[in-house]
Amino acid sequence: MSNQGSKVIKLSSGCTNPVTCPLNQVKAGTAVKIKQLDAPPEVAHRLREMGFCEEQKLRLLTQNTTIICQVCNARFGLSTDLARQILVEPLPVFRQAS
Amino acid sequence: MPPITDKPVAPAQVVLTGNPNCGKTTVFNALTGLRAKVGNYPGVTVERKEGRLLGVAREITMLDLPGTYSLSPNSPDEQIARDVLLQRIAKVPAPDLVVIVVDASNLHRNLYFATQVIELGYRTILALNMVDVATQNGKAVNPRLLSELLEVPVIPLVASQGSGIAELRLEIVRFLDAPRPAHPGFFGDLPPVYLREIASLAELLGGQAAPGAPFNRHAEALLLLGDSRPVKSLVLAQPAPIQDQARAARRRLEEAGLDWGTKPIEARYACIAALCDAVITEMADVRETLSDRLDRVLTHKIWGVLIFLGLMTLMFNSIFILAKLPMEALDAGVNWLGQQVGRMVPPGDLHSLLEQGVFAGVGAVVVFLPQICILFLFIGLLEDTGYMSRAAFIMDRFMSKVGLQGKCFIPLLSSYACAIPGIMATRTIENFRDRLATILIAPLMSCSARLPVYTLLIAACIPDRQLAGWIPLQSLTMLGLYLLGTGAALLVAWLFKSTFLKGPPPLLIMELPPYKRPTLQGVLLHMWQRARMFLHSAGTLILCLNIVLWFLATYPHSAEREQHFAQLRQAVGSGVAPAGVGQAALAARVEREIAELNAQEAAERLQTSFAGRMGRFIEPVLAPLGFDWKIGIGIIASFAAREVFVSTMSTVYSVGNADPSASNRSLVQTLREQIRPDGGRLYTPASGLSLMVFYVFALQCASTVAIVRRETNSWKWPVFQWCYLAVVAWIMAFATYRLLLYLGF
Ligand SMILES: Nc1nc2c(ncn2[C@@H]2O[C@H](COP(=O)(O)OP(=O)(O)OP(=O)(O)O)[C@@H](O)[C@H]2O)c(=O)[nH]1
Repeated sequence: MSNQGSKVIKLSSGCTNPVTCPLNQVKAGTAVKIKQLDAPPEVAHRLREMGFCEEQKLRLLTQNTTIICQVCNARFGLSTDLARQILVEPLPVFRQAS
Repeated sequence: MPPITDKPVAPAQVVLTGNPNCGKTTVFNALTGLRAKVGNYPGVTVERKEGRLLGVAREITMLDLPGTYSLSPNSPDEQIARDVLLQRIAKVPAPDLVVIVVDASNLHRNLYFATQVIELGYRTILALNMVDVATQNGKAVNPRLLSELLEVPVIPLVASQGSGIAELRLEIVRFLDAPRPAHPGFFGDLPPVYLREIASLAELLGGQAAPGAPFNRHAEALLLLGDSRPVKSLVLAQPAPIQDQARAARRRLEEAGLDWGTKPIEARYACIAALCDAVITEMADVRETLSDRLDRVLTHKIWGVLIFLGLMTLMFNSIFILAKLPMEALDAGVNWLGQQVGRMVPPGDLHSLLEQGVFAGVGAVVVFLPQICILFLFIGLLEDTGYMSRAAFIMDRFMSKVGLQGKCFIPLLSSYACAIPGIMATRTIENFRDRLATILIAPLMSCSARLPVYTLLIAACIPDRQLAGWIPLQSLTMLGLYLLGTGAALLVAWLFKSTFLKGPPPLLIMELPPYKRPTLQGVLLHMWQRARMFLHSAGTLILCLNIVLWFLATYPHSAEREQHFAQLRQAVGSGVAPAGVGQAALAARVEREIAELNAQEAAERLQTSFAGRMGRFIEPVLAPLGFDWKIGIGIIASFAAREVFVSTMSTVYSVGNADPSASNRSLVQTLREQIRPDGGRLYTPASGLSLMVFYVFALQCASTVAIVRRETNSWKWPVFQWCYLAVVAWIMAFATYRLLLYLGF
C-alpha cells in the first residue's frame, strides 16, 4: 500500500492541483474525493468499512489541529495523523460550503 | 442450505444489534422495560444486557449487543457482538432471531453492518429507527421497498417516542415461528474466483464440530478471507488449519490479481449505494443542520475547550456539592441501622462483626452512592446528547501528549470523587491498553476518602501560618497533595504507555453523532444500572474484604484482658457518691469512666490483634519514613477504606470515639502530643508530610482492588497496581522525610 503511481504534492494550504494531496492539507469547506488510503492494512480496512472507500466523496467541515469531515451523512472526527494518510483529489468546485 | 428443522425452544433468544448510536439501547429499553439484567460476558468485561420481552405471553429473552460498525471487530465490544452472532461463546445460546437496528438518517453506513448480519442467515428483522431525524434532514426512506430488496421485514420506528415499538414486538413474535430463510446471497458482486474460495473455506468451517449448520458458513468464510488479522475470538480460537487455509486462499486471490481486503468492502458499498438510491427520496436540499452550527462552536479550537472545561467544573462541583446532603443522610442512616442491629444483638463477637465489619466498613463505601449516581447522571446526559464524543475529541489532543486518548479524561476526573466509579467509567475506552493504563493510574487522583486523612494530618502537623505573609501554609499543602497525585498520574501513564503498554498510537477516528435530546427515562435507567452494579460489588467483594479486615483487627481474644476490664468496670459502677456530688452527676461520671475504660480496652485489643502484630511486624519497613507501629496499624486498617485511618488512630490512642467529628479536634491534640522514644515529637511536619505523601500514592483501598479485579478480570493487574503504588509510595515518602529532615524540619 505505498503511494505508487500518483504523485503526492504537499502544499501548505489548499490544494489547487488536480493531483492527490493529503486530507489534512485541504481547506475547510471543500468537497473532495478519496483517491487512496496510505494507511497500514488494518487501519485502511477499518476506514473503508466506515465508508472511507476510494472514489468516495467527502466534505471537510473543520480543519484545526483535528479534522471533522462528512462522509455520506455521517460525521467523523479524525486526527491530523490519520488525515495525512488519506489522499484525496479536490472535486471541481460545484458546491462550496459557506 | 441451513436445516429448517430447529424449532426454537422456549425461552426464545432474540439478539439486538446495530451500529453505535443508532438508538439500540432505546429500542431495547422500550422492548424490555426497566428490568433488564446487566452483567458481564464470561471472561471479559464487556457489558451484557439481557431482559425479557414485555407484553407477550411467550418467554422471549432479548440480548442487547454492543454497538458495532462491522463484523471485523476492532475492540472487545465489537468482538463480543461478532462472537455472539457467530455463536462462539458457549454460555450464550444461539440466536433464534436477530433484530438489526439501523439509523434511517444514515442508512449508507448502517447498511454496511446490517447486510453483513443479514448474510448470516438468521431470521432477521430490520428496525428502521430515527425516521424522524431522516425526515428532518429532508429524506424519506421507503420501508416496503427496502424490505423487498433486503428480503427481510422492515419496521419503521421512532424509538425515543415509542412509536413503532408495538409493531416491532408483534413482528418479533410472529417471525420467531417463521422458517429460517434459505441461503441468502451476498450483497455485492464478488468475482467467481472469490466465490469459489469462499465456498471451499465454508465447507471447511461447516465441517467443524458445531452440530448442524447454525448459520451461513459462506458469510463466515467471507469475513475470514477479508480480514487478515488472526481471528482472535475472545473465547474460542479459530483452529490453525482453518487459518492456514485462509492464508493460502488469500495468496491465491492475490495471484489472481485481486485485493482480497478491499474487494468485498467495495462490492458491498456499491450494492448499498444502489439500494439507497432506490429507497431514499431526497425531499429537500440538505441545509446546514443544528448539529453543524453547534459543532462549529463546541469543537472550536478555543471555545470548544473552554466550554468543555466549564462543563467539567460544573459536573465536578455538583458531585461534591449536590452529593453532600444525601451522603450525610446515608451515613447517618447506616449508623442508625448499625445501632439498631447492634442493640438487638448481644455484645460479643457477632456484635462487633456487625458493627465494625459490616456496618462501619461497608457503610464507608456505600456513602459514595450519591456521588456515583450524580456522576453517572452527568455521563448519561453527555452520552445521550451526543456531546461525549465531542468531549473525547477535544481532549484527545491533550491526553495524547502522555500517550492516552480523549476518552480517558472523564474516568480520571471522576476518580477525584472516588476511584470506583472512575474505574467503572473506563468501559467506554475501546483500546485495552489505554483502558488499562487509565485504570492503573486512577487511584493516584486523590479521592474524597483521602480528604479526612489529609485534613487530620495537616491540622496536626502543618503549622497554621502564612507563607510570604498571605498564602496559608495548610491550604497550600492540601493543593500540593492534589497536584502531586495528578502529576504523578500523568507521568506514570506516560511511562506505562511507552513501555509495557506500548502500542501503535491509536489513530483517532470517531463518529460524531448528531446532537439529540436525551430521554429522561434512558438517562435515569443508565444511572440506576451503574448504581446497582456498585451496590452489588459493595454487597459481595467489598463486604468479604471488610470482614477479613475486621477479623485481623479483632482477633485473637485474650480472656485475661477481658476479665481485667470487666472487673475495672464493675469497680467504677459500684462506686459510692462522695459527699456533695448528686446522683445525676455521679451517673454521668460513671458513664464517662466506663467509656474511657472501653476505649482503653479497645486500644489494647487492637494493639494485640493480628493487625497490631502486623503493625509491629512492618515497623522496620515504616521506620525510615518516620512512622511507628501505631501508624502502621492505621495504615493496615486503611486498607478497608482510607478514611478508616482517622477512626483507627483514635482507637489506637484511645481517644473516646463516640462521635468521630467531635473527637477530631481532640484527636489532633492527641496526635500533637505523641512522643517518640527519643523524646522528640512523633508528628512533625516531616513525618506528617511523609505520611500524607504515602497516602497520595499507596493503594489503600480494598474496594478499588476489588473493582480493578472485576474490571480487568484477573488478579494480575490489581496485584501489579498495588505493588507498584506501594513501592512508589514508600520511595516518595522516604524521599520527603529525608529531604525535610535534611532541611531541618
Ligand atoms: N430523534 C430520535 N432520537 C432517538 C431515536 N432513538 C433513539 N434516539 C436518541 O438517540 C440517542 C442515542 O440512543 P441510544 O439508544 O443510547 O443509542 P445506542 O445505539 O444504544 O448507542 P450505543 O450505546 O453507543 O450503542 C439517545 O439520546 C436517544 O434518546 C429516534 O428514533 N429518534
